[in-house]
Amino acid sequence: MRNFEWLEPDSVADASRMVRENGEGAKLMASGTSLLLLMRQRIFSPSHVVSLERVDGLDFIEFDEGGNLRIGARTKHRTIEHHPEIAAKFPMIHEMARRVANPQIRNMATIGGNLVHNDPQSDPPACFLAMDATIKATLGNEEREIPIEEFFVDYYETCLEPGEVLTEIGIPAHPVGSVGVYTRFTTTPAEDRPLLGVGMVLNMDDDTVADARVSLGASTAIPVRARAAEEALKGQPATEEVFAKAGQAASDEVTPLDDFRGSADYRREIIKVIVRRTGMRALERARGQERVGL
Amino acid sequence: MKKRLITLSVNGEEHEIAVEPRRLLVEAIRDDLGLTGTKRGCESGVCGCCTILVDGVNIKSCLMLALQAQDKEITTIEGLRGDDGGLHPIQEAYVNYGALQCGYCTPGFIMTTKAFLDENPKPNEAEIREGLGGNLCRCTGYVKIVEAIQAASGQEVKHAHH
Repeated sequence: MRNFEWLEPDSVADASRMVRENGEGAKLMASGTSLLLLMRQRIFSPSHVVSLERVDGLDFIEFDEGGNLRIGARTKHRTIEHHPEIAAKFPMIHEMARRVANPQIRNMATIGGNLVHNDPQSDPPACFLAMDATIKATLGNEEREIPIEEFFVDYYETCLEPGEVLTEIGIPAHPVGSVGVYTRFTTTPAEDRPLLGVGMVLNMDDDTVADARVSLGASTAIPVRARAAEEALKGQPATEEVFAKAGQAASDEVTPLDDFRGSADYRREIIKVIVRRTGMRALERARGQERVGL
Repeated sequence: MKKRLITLSVNGEEHEIAVEPRRLLVEAIRDDLGLTGTKRGCESGVCGCCTILVDGVNIKSCLMLALQAQDKEITTIEGLRGDDGGLHPIQEAYVNYGALQCGYCTPGFIMTTKAFLDENPKPNEAEIREGLGGNLCRCTGYVKIVEAIQAASGQEVKHAHH
């Protein structure tokens, strides 16, 4: 690893300023679990690392009266995994968070760091995309809210400007009658990165899907909403046949990655399967018939 | 790049060392403090050989800078001991159940076991296996390690997959 200047601001505004003052070589670091890997391989050698370690107020989990959730950028995956109110109100976040990387990494790595890194082989991006989350970010003294779908721009690239600091993620409460599920799929050991992640939020009207959001992650360069799959679900009875059609639609509408975890052809097949299974899991969860251990 | 003077609190003792910003915590522990029980393995956050406790939770010291460990309580394998000053009960269980072959991964496994049992004192087998997800053993597999953890947690040692 090449050496660098280490800067430790104690506010978001100072962190933002320090990155902008030090030019293109300056980089923000939350826990560093992803950034240090790139630095050690000399894929990226920053001149300045601006640590968020001493910035207070970025490590929180808060629900408002309406059940909307805010998670601070420096909240660790472990904290999210063990939060009882998140497990109760947003089981899809709980089931996603407890499978991120491995226990030691969950004790170190932060949710904000995960999102800004925008590594395609990751779980939180697709999960939050299906939940229609909002990213809050600060540049200097300017704060803005970004719909999560606009946040992911390209492979390892987000819409954040240099020096813009992700401060929190906002997740709207599920409307009454809605259910959310996240399915992580891998062909390798459970601790490996995902080959595919499917997020699904269904708004149910009895056994009919009134509205649906479906996201795919880890099989495309950036996580995407599977809008054709959503259209295939809306207004339809929640049956295995309908979920299978949605899987076919999702598979048809994306250009999958083709890499050592799986060929594009394989991913086209497995997207069909996992979207269908995710739909069936959502149905079981909506009916309170979920089998434990999935 | 100028070195910085930092204080690391390791196994209850404070150590003042001068480090470059790029100094990894695992390097500082092994090469500056001479505590070589913590191993370097994959150096990319996968194998778990470098697992230590920071403020009581298990982390991978190859993915943390020494600078990031200031003001935190670090425990390495050298800091584990039993009430009588000898082996810690977890270490004894690993010995009694033969839960190692070459031993290179063992300090990391034992530190993970310590953090895991502190949080979940009576885990079932599935929970044990999940808890070990961040540690790899390439010699012996995991059966004897699972057994050692069952024993260390005062539970009946039973394993279905012999």
